[in-house]
Amino acid sequence: MNLSPDQTIMFNAWGLPINATIFYTWIVMALLTVVSILITRNLRADVPPNRWRTTLEVIVQGIQGQIEEISGGPSRHLLYYAGTLFLFVAVSNLLLVVPGFEPPTSSLSTTTALALSVLIAVPMFGISSRGLCGYLKTYIEPSFIMLPFNIIAEFSRGISLAIRLYGNIMSGAVIAAILLTVAPFFFPVVMDALGLLTGMIQAYIFAILATVYISSATASSAKVEKDIP
Amino acid sequence: MSIDWITVAAQIANFLVLVWLLRRFLYRPILDGIDAREAEIAKRMQAAVTAKEQAEAAQTEYQNKVQALHVAQSEMTETIRKKAEEQRDALLAAAREKMDAEHSAWQAHLDAKARDYAAKLHGAGAAALLSLTRKALGDLADESLEARMAHHLVQQIKPMAKDLIGAAGQAAGAVITSHSPLPPATQDALTAELRTIMPDVSLRFEVDAQQAPGLVLRLGGAQVEWTTDSYIDGLDAMIIDQLTKNSDTKVHSHGD
Repeated sequence: MNLSPDQTIMFNAWGLPINATIFYTWIVMALLTVVSILITRNLRADVPPNRWRTTLEVIVQGIQGQIEEISGGPSRHLLYYAGTLFLFVAVSNLLLVVPGFEPPTSSLSTTTALALSVLIAVPMFGISSRGLCGYLKTYIEPSFIMLPFNIIAEFSRGISLAIRLYGNIMSGAVIAAILLTVAPFFFPVVMDALGLLTGMIQAYIFAILATVYISSATASSAKVEKDIP
Repeated sequence: MSIDWITVAAQIANFLVLVWLLRRFLYRPILDGIDAREAEIAKRMQAAVTAKEQAEAAQTEYQNKVQALHVAQSEMTETIRKKAEEQRDALLAAAREKMDAEHSAWQAHLDAKARDYAAKLHGAGAAALLSLTRKALGDLADESLEARMAHHLVQQIKPMAKDLIGAAGQAAGAVITSHSPLPPATQDALTAELRTIMPDVSLRFEVDAQQAPGLVLRLGGAQVEWTTDSYIDGLDAMIIDQLTKNSDTKVHSHGD
């Protein structure tokens, strides 16, 4: 039994082995892109939106509302990033119910990649917001003695993000697989339903935590002090 | 559980590509569409507000026009009413004048009729009286009416002879006119009687068919008349006096 889809080679392309993680990631990407293209084509302001476009608007505006609540203001770049994180993780986890589909988020490589991307995005958003010096200054606040602790905290965030998501999704998939072997008629269904709920919650938590980290890096020092009780 | 760093790198690349794809095909179209729709809604709401303001302005203008029309209608009604009243008063005055004129004309006509009737009655009465008197005198006393009237005229003249002669002035002739020729005996008797009163006055007899039956003596500017007309005039006065007394009695009796 393979615990990670990284070990499953689906096919070779240009001499490179394509494992299940990458393959199913592409499927999720294609699904999201094609659905988006199909729904958002021929958009006109003077035509009332149909149900699909309304659904997408609700999703996008819901994500935007959550981000604005956390960051305190609209930010399209943060929406692109955190929204994509949420949609990718959520759709990957929802496709758990499709027979034969292995969620990319059940791979530690995927969650590590996402955590690394958050780890890189936080300083990038912080530098773009505060400038290089302003961002680096946050590492020695409130005192330069806190520099190592701040660096450790920065990396621990990424590690916790990666492990949390991987552990939840992988455990759900593994438990479902084990129960399918032991009691193939009832428990896998229950576990899959539970896995859907867990997957959505994990997607929400992952995106929210990423938004919080990025918002704390981009927020002004005065606001940060104000937010601290 | 292991980390495949090649897969990690590929997943980071995949994630970045997915961010770009979703930004291109999901977020931007959706958010731009929402913004455009909000702008369209705001534009339509502004247009609706403008249209509402225009409608309110038009409503106000219409109400003002209606108010002005009501005022004009009231003024016009008042003017028409006054004109109608004036015209009614004028028509009433004209009708009243016409009615008064017709009433006057009718009254005049009645008076004329009454006069005519009275004249006819007068004439008929006189003729009947004359005829009856003549017949009665002839049958009962073997006397003619003219002779008796001449005698009576002389009796009337006697008391006023001096006044009559004074009024005659320098006139030397008197004229006695009658409706029909007087019998010669009557003329002689009358001439003899008058000569005893007025010896210097010559007497001449004439006939006037237009005159009422009887005798009229003209001497210069004086005139003494004894005809059925003068008699009946006196009779009329007596009858009217009697009728007046009777009507007063009736009025008093009704009033009681």
